[in-house]
Amino acid sequence: MLKFTLWRTAQAVPVLLGVSFIVFLSLYLLPGDVTQQLLGLAASAESIKSLREELGLDEPILVQYWIWLKRALAGNLGSSHVMRTEVLQVVANKSLNSLVLMASSLGLVIVASLALSTISAWKKDSALDRGISAAMFLLASMPAFWLGLVLIVFFAVKLPIFPSAGMYPITGSGGLADLLRHLVLPTITTAATSLAIVTRVTRSAIVEALSSLYISAARSRGLSATSILYKHAFRNVLPTFVNICGLQIGYLFGSAIFSEIIFAWPGIGFQLYNSVIARDGPMVQGTVIVIALVFVIGNLLADLIVRWLDVHRT
Amino acid sequence: MAASHESMMVPAVTETAARSSALFRIARTLARNNWTLGGIAIVSLFLICALFAPWIAPYDPNASFIELRLRGIMTPGHWLGVDTQGRDVLSRVIYGARVSLTTGVVPVAISALLALPLGLLAAYFEKTGAFIMRIMDILFAFPMVLLAILLGAMLGPGLTNLIAALVIVLLPFNTRVVYTEALVQKHAGYVEAAIALGTPAHRILYREILPHVVSSSIVYSLTIVGTIIITAAGLSFLGLGIQPPTPDWGLMTSEGRAVLALAPHVATVPGFAIFALVTGFNLLGDGLRDALDPKSMVHG
Repeated sequence: MLKFTLWRTAQAVPVLLGVSFIVFLSLYLLPGDVTQQLLGLAASAESIKSLREELGLDEPILVQYWIWLKRALAGNLGSSHVMRTEVLQVVANKSLNSLVLMASSLGLVIVASLALSTISAWKKDSALDRGISAAMFLLASMPAFWLGLVLIVFFAVKLPIFPSAGMYPITGSGGLADLLRHLVLPTITTAATSLAIVTRVTRSAIVEALSSLYISAARSRGLSATSILYKHAFRNVLPTFVNICGLQIGYLFGSAIFSEIIFAWPGIGFQLYNSVIARDGPMVQGTVIVIALVFVIGNLLADLIVRWLDVHRT
Repeated sequence: MAASHESMMVPAVTETAARSSALFRIARTLARNNWTLGGIAIVSLFLICALFAPWIAPYDPNASFIELRLRGIMTPGHWLGVDTQGRDVLSRVIYGARVSLTTGVVPVAISALLALPLGLLAAYFEKTGAFIMRIMDILFAFPMVLLAILLGAMLGPGLTNLIAALVIVLLPFNTRVVYTEALVQKHAGYVEAAIALGTPAHRILYREILPHVVSSSIVYSLTIVGTIIITAAGLSFLGLGIQPPTPDWGLMTSEGRAVLALAPHVATVPGFAIFALVTGFNLLGDGLRDALDPKSMVHG
């Protein structure tokens, strides 16, 4: 297990280097001249030149990458061209908000998909099973940005139960109850697609496990339904479940970006969107690299957990 | 001359016959599945809208009836309402099918074509393969939407750039499908026999491995079209794809956000069109996958 952990972790290093290079290159390829945007069209040639030097835009590309990488590894992601603040500071603040949204969405995916897939598999081919399967199929076909808007129309405009925006910084005042109220709609929006996929896959896995010989043996010994499900089926389904949940991290990030934009959630996805629109290169780099880093680490953890479960299954 | 020509034709004909009977079997399996037929019906409906938009749509998609601005669903003459600039939503939804079908199908087709040589070479030549697949690993390290946003921002807006961004986003997925299938074929007995006989690599790749790989690539492509339609509409929603005044469902959803409380139909109707078309493609893709391989499952 230790060997696998080290090997798998070492594998992530060149990938992250490649990611950092692509992210770095993006600054060159983002359209529009940053200096002109910062200084305005009437800026003098001199002020543009000095700003380019200040931002390090005059060095050759590989030199710039090396400087950028060294600084990035030291935690210095540069400063925002537009906001004139440290990128890392902004990214760190926003990341916390995003982590709260991601955690609650992943939590919803895990709890709801386990419940739905178990009911569905246990009552296989019943009306309930078909209903759940159909609902999950439809859920998987919904664009997150549309679902978010529909939820706002129904639960914020027509029935004003939940707020549609106005999430404050989590560290501010407002209390847990208020945070939870703000979390409900963005969490559902972020979780929807993943919930549908995880439920479908887990249902198939449970159905397969339940049809196997040792389950038939357990049934013939007169074990209760819950005992069969928990003691026998789940143990075998768990690696599949963790694996498919791990694969959802990417989807969750994608949906979370739209969810944050629609509900004005002050997270890293909303920041990315604003930075892209403002053509704020360093800010775009900072947000993208943090999201990619968390994504790679998330996948690594999921792989390790699956491996651990496989090793300790018997 | 005629005789030799004829004798050469014989194996080709039997091969075609075998393939068409396989296709027929798949088609029959698909036709027996009501859900798949539903998918075909939905996709066909939108395809007809896209092809015959000028004849089907009641108005020009950019014609403005400014005095009817923001009128809701069931307004006489404008059954799906009127948008922020007084344009008929139904007409724009019908024309919007053109963009959505294009951005769903074209990038998938192009990247599947590009992935064929990449995946085949990667599977057949180990060192090249290691290099190609490491680059794909790097692209895999970005969540799909994030990479699409980054590329969209880099390339700039517009239909061509949107398609280019989606091709790159899809490339690692398509390449992995081809690579995995080609690896399996490479170690199959008939290919190992061909290698032992000294058949040149290009011949083995083209004659033996390619035909097997193409079918998995096509099936995979059909299952991913829905996701790509959503991603493309998402980029346009963010202002990184199709630009106004082109009638595009993602863009229309975005334009309707500002009046969501006042006139919810402006944003939700085009969004529903995306949902419906994606449902159609997903039904179709699921049906095809089940017809070809009943044991397969969905994976992220």
